[in-house]
Amino acid sequence: MRPSSGRPAGSARAALRAALAAVRQIVGAPDYERYLAHHAACHPGEGRPPLSPRQYYAEFVTRRFGAGGPSRCC
Amino acid sequence: MLAANMRRPLAVLLWIAVAALGATAFAVLALVRGETISAAWILAAGVASYAIAYRFYSRFLALRVFGLDDRRATPAERLNNGRDFVPTNRWVLYGHHFAAIAGAGPLIGPMLAAQFGFLPGTLWLVAGVVLGGAVQDFTILVLSMRRDGKSLGQMAKEEVNPLAGMAAMIAILAIMVILLAVLALVVVNALKQSPWGLFIIACTIPIALLMGWWMKTLRPGHVLEASAIGIVLLLAALVAGRWVSLDPTWARWFTWSGVGLTWAMVGYGFLASVLPVWLLLSPRDYLSTFLKIGTVLTLAVAIVLTLPPIRLPAVTRFVDGTGPVFAGKVFPFAFITIACGAISGFHALVASGTSPKMITRESDARLLGYGGMLMESFVGLMAIIAAATLEPGVYFAMNVPAATLGPTAAAAAQTIAHWGFTLHPGQMEALAREMGEATLFSRTGGAPSLAVGMASILGGVVRGSGLALWYHFAIMFEALFILTTVDAGTRVGRFMLQELAGHVWKPFGRTSWYPGVALASAVIVAGWGYFLYQGVVDPLGGINSLWPLFGIANQLLAAVALCVGTTILIKMGRAAYAWVTLVPLVWLATVTLTAGWQKVFSADPRLGFLAHARAVAAGPAVAHADRLIFNDRLDAALALAFMAVVVVVIVASAREWWMVLTRRKPAAVHEAAYVESMYAVGD
Repeated sequence: MRPSSGRPAGSARAALRAALAAVRQIVGAPDYERYLAHHAACHPGEGRPPLSPRQYYAEFVTRRFGAGGPSRCC
Repeated sequence: MLAANMRRPLAVLLWIAVAALGATAFAVLALVRGETISAAWILAAGVASYAIAYRFYSRFLALRVFGLDDRRATPAERLNNGRDFVPTNRWVLYGHHFAAIAGAGPLIGPMLAAQFGFLPGTLWLVAGVVLGGAVQDFTILVLSMRRDGKSLGQMAKEEVNPLAGMAAMIAILAIMVILLAVLALVVVNALKQSPWGLFIIACTIPIALLMGWWMKTLRPGHVLEASAIGIVLLLAALVAGRWVSLDPTWARWFTWSGVGLTWAMVGYGFLASVLPVWLLLSPRDYLSTFLKIGTVLTLAVAIVLTLPPIRLPAVTRFVDGTGPVFAGKVFPFAFITIACGAISGFHALVASGTSPKMITRESDARLLGYGGMLMESFVGLMAIIAAATLEPGVYFAMNVPAATLGPTAAAAAQTIAHWGFTLHPGQMEALAREMGEATLFSRTGGAPSLAVGMASILGGVVRGSGLALWYHFAIMFEALFILTTVDAGTRVGRFMLQELAGHVWKPFGRTSWYPGVALASAVIVAGWGYFLYQGVVDPLGGINSLWPLFGIANQLLAAVALCVGTTILIKMGRAAYAWVTLVPLVWLATVTLTAGWQKVFSADPRLGFLAHARAVAAGPAVAHADRLIFNDRLDAALALAFMAVVVVVIVASAREWWMVLTRRKPAAVHEAAYVESMYAVGD
C-alpha cells in the first residue's frame, strides 16, 4: 500500500478526487473509498463483507471523537 | 553529482542573503525609536530566522541527534489498518498536524504581552520556537513514532519511572481545568453585551445539530458536504447578526451578562460531554477546523498584502512590572504570557497522539514536528502585528480592567495620558460604532482587541467591506474554536478522571456506565466553571490572575515533555547531544518556577496571590472579601501544586540520567523493533 495521496492524476476528475481526499485527511474526515480499498487489499478472502457507509461512519466517529477527539490545543 | 556541486556556491550565497536579511530586520526592530515602521520588518525577522533554523538546526536534529532513517518502517507502514495508522502524504499530514496544534493561545498570549511593547514578544516568539518549542514538538513526535504512537504519559511511565508517569497524568488533568477556565473567560468577555457576537455563536448549535444529522443519517459520512453547508449557514448568521444587533427586541434577547454566559457555557460543556459525539462534538470540530485553516491563511495573505504600520512602541515602560493588563516584570512574565506561540506543553500531547501514527517515512517527522511549530510561531507573530497596528491608547483602553481604567471615558483618557499615551475624546465611541459594538472600553481577554486589529487588516484588503462585519467574523473565529476546545477538553478530562477513579472503584472506570459518565462530566465542568465564574465576577477582570496561572501550567507541562525527551536521548546513547532538550528545559524550569514563586509569594499585592489576600483582609471593607481571599489562597495552592509536580518529574528524571550515565543502570529504551521499510526499496 502506497500513501493514498500523491499519485499521478490522470484527468481533472482524478485530480479533484485526490484533492478532496487530501482535504479529508487534513481535517480528519472519514474516507469510505479508502476504507473499501484497504478492506479489499488487506482482508481478501476472509469472507467478511465490508461495513456499510452508515456502519463505517458510526465506527469512525466513535473511534475519532469517543474520548474527546484529537486533543485540541490552547 | 556534478549539478549539486555547481549549485553549492549559489546555495551558500542564498543562505548568507537570508541571514543578512534577518539580521537587518532584527536591527531595525531593536533600534527604531519614535518613528513608525512597517510590519514587514517583523515578518522578515521571523521568516528569515525560521528558514535558517529549519534548514540547519532541524537537519542537525534529524540526522545527528535522532538519526532518522528512511529504511526503518514507521508505525503507519507496519501497522497500517486503514484507520488511525495510515501512511499519509507529508504535506497533507502537515495540514492535519497544524490544525491539531493551532488554537487560541498563540493569538491571545502575544496580544496580552504587547503591554511590554512589540519587541519582547517578537524576540521570544522567534528565539523560543527555534530553540525550544519546535525542538520539543519534534523530539516528542520522533520518540512517539519510534514507539508505535505512545502517549506522553505512557512514555513518562515507561522511560522515566511510574511516579513521573502518574505526576504527568495529574498535571495534565489540572492544567486542562485551568486551560478551559481561562479560554472560556476569553469567550465570555468577548460575547458579553455583544448581541451580534452572541447571536452567531448561538447559531452554531442548531447548525452543528443539522450537520450531525446530515452526516449520520441523511448522507452517512459526507463530512465535506455537511461542512460546506455549515459554513454557508455560519456566514449567513454572521450577516444576519447585524440586524439582530440593530433591532431593539432581538438585541435585548441576545444581550447577556458575563454571569449569564458563564452558566450557559457550563451547561453547554456538560451536554457536549454526555451527548453522543456525532450530534454536537464532531460537527463543531469540523466546522472550526475549516474556519481555523481558512482564517489563518487569509490573515497571512492580508498581512503580506497590506504590510500595516506598527504603532505600538518597541518597548513600553511597563517592562518594570507596573503593567495594567497583567502584573509582573518582563522577566519572567513575558515568557509565561506568550506561552503557546513559542513553546507549548500541550503540543506534546498532540505530537504523541494521532500524528505519529500517520507518518510515511521517518524523515517526514522533521517537517511535521519542527516545521509545524514554526507555523504556530508565525501565527503568534501575526497576533503581535494585529496588536501593534492598534493605536497604543486604544490597545490599553480595551485591555485594561475598568477598575484600573476609571469609570468614564474622560477618566480613562486621563489614566491613559498618565501612562504617556493618547486617547482622543470620542475615539473609543467612534471605534465601537464602527465595529458594531456597544462599547470597547475594558474588553479584556485579548479577543476583542485582536478582532479590532484583524478587522483593520482584513478590511484594508477588501475595501468598503465594512469593519463591523470583519470584527464579528474575527470574534466568531476565535469563539468557535475556543468553544471546540472547551467541548473536547471537557470530554477528554472526563475520560481521564474516569480512568483515574477506575483505579479506586472499578465501575467508575467504565466509560459507558451512565452515572459514572454524568458524575465525571459534572466534576470537570464544575472545576473549570468555578474558576470561570470567579474570573467573571473578579473586580480586576480575572485574566490578570488566570492567564499567568495558565501560562505557568502550560510551560510546566512543556518542562515535563523535555524531561522525558532528555531521559530518552541519554538512554539512546546520545548523551553528547542531550543539550538540545536540556538547555530549553533549564530555561523553562527557571522561568516558570520564578514566575510561580512570584505569583505566590511576591509582597506586591498586584502580583502575589497571598499578598493580595492580605491586602484585601487589611484594607477597607469590599463586597465578597471572604471570597476574594479564598480564591487568592486557592490560586496560590494551585500554583504551588504545579511547581511541586514539575520538581518531582525533574528530580525523578535527573536521578535516572545519573543512574544511566554512571552505568548503575543499563541504558535500555523501549523502542519498537527495527523493521525494514518497503518504501525505501528502489528509492
